[in-house]
Amino acid sequence: MSDTADTGGDTPPLAGVRVLDVASFIAGPAAATVLADFGADVIKVEPLDGDPLRRMGDGAGMPKCDVDYSWALDNRNKRSIALDLKRADGRAVLDRLIARADVLITNYPFPVRARLRLRYDDVAPVNARLIYASLSGYGETGPEADQPGYDITTYFGRSGIVDAMRVADGAPSLTLPAQGDHPTAMTLFGAIMLALFTRERTGRGGQVATNLLHNGIWSNGIFAQAALLGAYPEPRRGRQYAKNALANAYRARDGRWLSLVIVREERLWAGFCQAIGLPGLIDDPRFATRAARAQRVPELMAILDAQFATRDLADWRPRLEAAGITFGTLPGLRDLPDDPQLAANGTFIATSDPDVPRTIANPISMAGAPQVAPRRAPALGAHTDDILREAGHAAADIAALRASGSVG
Amino acid sequence: MSDDTPLDAELPLAGLTVLDVSSFIAAPAAATVLGDFGADVIKVEPPGSGDPHRNSFQNPNYPRADVNFVWQLDGRNKRSVALDLKHADGRACFDRLVSRADVMIVNFPAPVRERLRLRWEDVAPVNPRLIYASLTGYGETGPDRDMPGFDVNAYFGRAGILDAQRTEDGPPGFSLPAQGDRCAAMTIVAAILMGLRRRDRTGQGGWVGTSLYANGVWSNGTLAQAALVGAFVEPRPPRTRPRNALANIYRTRDDRWVQLTLVREDKGWERLCRALDRADLPADPRFATRDARRANSAALVAILDAAFAAQDWAHWRRVLRAHEVTFGVVERLQELPRDEQARHAGIIAETTSPSVPYTINNPVRLGFARPRPAGAPPAVGQHTGQILREIGLSDAEIAALRAAGAAD
Repeated sequence: MSDTADTGGDTPPLAGVRVLDVASFIAGPAAATVLADFGADVIKVEPLDGDPLRRMGDGAGMPKCDVDYSWALDNRNKRSIALDLKRADGRAVLDRLIARADVLITNYPFPVRARLRLRYDDVAPVNARLIYASLSGYGETGPEADQPGYDITTYFGRSGIVDAMRVADGAPSLTLPAQGDHPTAMTLFGAIMLALFTRERTGRGGQVATNLLHNGIWSNGIFAQAALLGAYPEPRRGRQYAKNALANAYRARDGRWLSLVIVREERLWAGFCQAIGLPGLIDDPRFATRAARAQRVPELMAILDAQFATRDLADWRPRLEAAGITFGTLPGLRDLPDDPQLAANGTFIATSDPDVPRTIANPISMAGAPQVAPRRAPALGAHTDDILREAGHAAADIAALRASGSVG
Repeated sequence: MSDDTPLDAELPLAGLTVLDVSSFIAAPAAATVLGDFGADVIKVEPPGSGDPHRNSFQNPNYPRADVNFVWQLDGRNKRSVALDLKHADGRACFDRLVSRADVMIVNFPAPVRERLRLRWEDVAPVNPRLIYASLTGYGETGPDRDMPGFDVNAYFGRAGILDAQRTEDGPPGFSLPAQGDRCAAMTIVAAILMGLRRRDRTGQGGWVGTSLYANGVWSNGTLAQAALVGAFVEPRPPRTRPRNALANIYRTRDDRWVQLTLVREDKGWERLCRALDRADLPADPRFATRDARRANSAALVAILDAAFAAQDWAHWRRVLRAHEVTFGVVERLQELPRDEQARHAGIIAETTSPSVPYTINNPVRLGFARPRPAGAPPAVGQHTGQILREIGLSDAEIAALRAAGAAD
């Protein structure tokens, strides 16, 4: 598809779809974000003290920033109504919203749903065309169904991914914040689309669901499928066990990594030694032939480790390129904002929010259906009055709800 | 969502025809999900060896198994037609398939699509109601559009995930086979369903797509959004001197890992000390307060390392639970086959294929339908004759195509 294939101005594909985001943190709300990106009217239903994600920005592993980037990403394009669902009049407001909605997304633990009467059986009588989208940690039933699950513990830890990311004799590798939540959100979005597609044909709503554990195992499907047959991977061997020092990753002075891929060693060895400033190695009998190098991998790696640490990646790049050495780099987060490939494909989109001028488009592209221009993630209860009026509440009603503390 | 919910008479995607014109994992896995929910998926493969993914199970990094477990996972619920698209007669058969299809999934690099006339603009004239789903490594446009992308380089490396997973002084992280491919597959599924729903309303087919790179950035969205506002986090310190020794992983005597996640640290710390049989520790001034524990985290890790290494995982699970210490499980794939929760959550499904009796369900659950039971995946061209008859070819014509090498 070329950019010109966009016929812009078309109605977004999900215009007219009404979504209630009765969910917290990331995987559930991010599915609602994707619906909103494609034009759905998403109402975030929050408790009076708000989604706890609003207060989560300052965890130890999170970048420090005055701007609430995590909230901005996962709640753009939504309106917020603050409701106390434990109060009868607050709950009555939710029922009116449900009666008008197409989709309700919730990720509350099952005991909370039972207490708040938010199970499918509680809401289906209000609206038989409703699509009820449930996100859980461990699935809808079973011994662990009521356990709270998070991306790190459930998608990554419980699914076997973290264990399989061990290097031999080493600790498991780390995962990044919400790294499993965002793919899980796409699964939930897909499930909702399947139900909307089906409703067009049958006229009926219904339940759809996914869970973090299943998405983790699905992602790790090859190893999981092998496990079902009793076959397991060996722990990965660390870079110190490389079989070839010239097919390995090295760290430059600025902490960036490059991975050498020297396929035609015989032809490139001398040029490589020149390029990295170690001409003395060319005829060094310890390394002069491929067979000799293969026998002294740790020794050669130690020399190369020390040498690559003397210059920045930007300095190594032209030297290696000039010598015809193939290498890959591992971009860091600092490299993403200016990546022309991302710009060319609309991965980042401009917002109208000066604090967060660019955000990350969801990964779906659709010809003729650009993602809507991102609107700022809402302040808590920013749209309470508007939404109540749309649901038919008179001004006096709204005042009474506010006076009783049922809305905020 | 209980298992006794009444199901619709038909699977939700029954009646849809999907052409899987793709290789390896992300795109074919999307076709698998559509097949799971009832679509008739026709895998269009080159005659002879077919999709090279048929041989992936022999990859040296995969667990050793005699049966083709990978192909069972990604080839299930499909039929195979072997066509030479470079041969005019083979191409004519393909166009007939396109004219009857609802969805076509393609992941060949852009230059190959151009050569084989498999771009949207090549096939749209044959069937304007077609949903054309494109998967690329790096996107539809931009300087890197023609580069082949795999999940390890496009999803994990390029999106900054591997770099951000490193610890101070440590090497970059690594990913598991197809770990990102299967996430991208769910994105394609969702995009296709959105396209189908739009077609039901407008009568128009159209182009939808996603890239591995965009899915990697989406998964890494929280840190990528921080990068867009100029906020970064330094690489994590190594496990032996973490920011917080009580949010860290520890190895047990039998080489399992315990993931401590002490949320309410004041209470949790004393409980942990009792569980470790180290009632002396809370009085130790190095660890008496939260700040002191942070300042002396390396000393605390040394003590906890020694303590956890003294007993097996089963002991710690029992003792930590008894003392109400919150911990996560770094689960092993070895546990998956008998995981009761995985069975309840529908993560593992029975197949009708005796050599691979269990497989991994896709992560979408529906209240109104169950996925189709997985049969054995097809051999190359197993259904060529059947499919060509369905599109109206006579036995003589099929024989001629076979003789010409255009189909097999």
